[in-house]
Amino acid sequence: MDIEEQSQQTQSGSEFEREPVPKRSLLGFKSFIGMYAGEHCAGTELMLGPLFVAAGVSAFDLIMGLLLGNALAVLSWMFLCAPIATRSRLTLYYQLEKICGRKLVTLYNLANGVMFCFLAGAMVTVSATAIGVWFNFKMPGLNDLYPNSVGWVLAVVVAGGLIAIVAAYGYQTVSKFANVAAPWMVLVFLVFGFVGLRQFIEVTNAGINSAGDLWTLATTQIWKGGAPLEGQVKFTFWHVTFFAWFCNMAMHIGMSDLSVFRFAKKSWYGVASGAGMYVGHFMAWISASILYAYQLHLDPADTDVLPGPLAFRAAGLVGLLCVIIAGWTTANPTIYRAGLAFQAISPKSSRFRVTLITGAVATIAGMFPAIAMKLLGFVALYGLVLMPMGAVIFVDFWLIRKFGLQSYYAELSGKSFNWAAGLAWFVTLATAWLLVKFAGIQIFFVSLPGWFVAAVLYIVLSKFYQKKIRPA
Amino acid sequence: MRPILQIVSLLALIGLTLPSIIFLAGRMELDTVKWLMLLASIVWFVAATPWMWKDNGAEKQDVT
Repeated sequence: MDIEEQSQQTQSGSEFEREPVPKRSLLGFKSFIGMYAGEHCAGTELMLGPLFVAAGVSAFDLIMGLLLGNALAVLSWMFLCAPIATRSRLTLYYQLEKICGRKLVTLYNLANGVMFCFLAGAMVTVSATAIGVWFNFKMPGLNDLYPNSVGWVLAVVVAGGLIAIVAAYGYQTVSKFANVAAPWMVLVFLVFGFVGLRQFIEVTNAGINSAGDLWTLATTQIWKGGAPLEGQVKFTFWHVTFFAWFCNMAMHIGMSDLSVFRFAKKSWYGVASGAGMYVGHFMAWISASILYAYQLHLDPADTDVLPGPLAFRAAGLVGLLCVIIAGWTTANPTIYRAGLAFQAISPKSSRFRVTLITGAVATIAGMFPAIAMKLLGFVALYGLVLMPMGAVIFVDFWLIRKFGLQSYYAELSGKSFNWAAGLAWFVTLATAWLLVKFAGIQIFFVSLPGWFVAAVLYIVLSKFYQKKIRPA
Repeated sequence: MRPILQIVSLLALIGLTLPSIIFLAGRMELDTVKWLMLLASIVWFVAATPWMWKDNGAEKQDVT
């Protein structure tokens, strides 16, 4: 049994949902490598890579920023998430319930479900751009916020509708297919990079005889730096670093992956996340960005970020298949997860119906290109929204007893809504919003101070809250 | 049967990538690369599906 099957069992409620994973069910290092490598090579990588170029990133800032940011992400999995997971061996949701109480966890589920819905919408958008290559309708541009043609709306309805129906009916089949497609997809992303690079060499007549020549091509033609495209935020080394670090913040610092690493024999297995980071968030982003830079090189006025046409130019039919499969296999579980999150709020409702409705919402979201075209900002927001609860879990596990307070307070007191944790979450988000709105700090950077705000708030508020109603 | 399928799958992945490397070296036309990739992709899905068909369990985040 591998990690996926273990999680599947947990999902269906048959094992370890409300108990620590026993020793006999622990898994080896290899299980985690495969899972992370496949999980983080998604359809949205084809949007994110080009958006870096649109943000006017330079070669040094991109390469070094991704190297550092991804390393920080891996370290976050290793030293923040996995050590707690391998000690408590509980799912995120059970751990949260013990700390926060059932009602606050329900609220967390709602936030999680909404974010998943929009993320799935972006994935549907990516898939629909592949349909556009076949039917040649008008597709959205880089700064479009609303659907701009009937053909586009129909393509999203078809792509999103199919994904939603399949998610509701046969989630497992797509899951199995995704497993087969993952190695193929990773290599198609690599091919995108090779093809794009050669196209650049040909179009610029660059003679590449050394690594120095390649670097010159990268700095002068591919990632030239300078001003971003209209409507985009300028990305520097720090933007790239923080984006790469925090784009999966919900999973490492936000502790979602407690549910994964509770099966790990050792906490250092967190290093397996590096497989996902350096395949999906390094190689795939760089490859996709080369394709877009080539498009801009050919026609600087053609700023549309459309994964379908980009992939088709580079790899023909295989490129299109990659876009469709990447979008489909990642949107499908995301819609399913969102459905589960919503269903947890109303357990009596049918999972089938909830998943269909969730899919419909994601499809409507996918019609609006704003989410996909502003994916850099949205992904940062996604991490930020869920991050404070990660800080609460960290403090509750490692620090709170040192202050003479109780961990797992909701469980001990029987409270269904731990206000100390709830307020720490809300006030942190409000603080982050104020920093973005009035202090001019970009959303990519507020999560780091936000974590400390949440941690301190949780301790201070618990001091008052627990003192007031500490159980006998 | 399984080891044979695994070898064929591996060859398909090599066949998927190698043409683009040759293209990068300037020794193959892009159209040829695209056709070879398509062929390799078909071989991959035919050969890999029987031994790789298992749950991906993408709902690693247990939201219940």
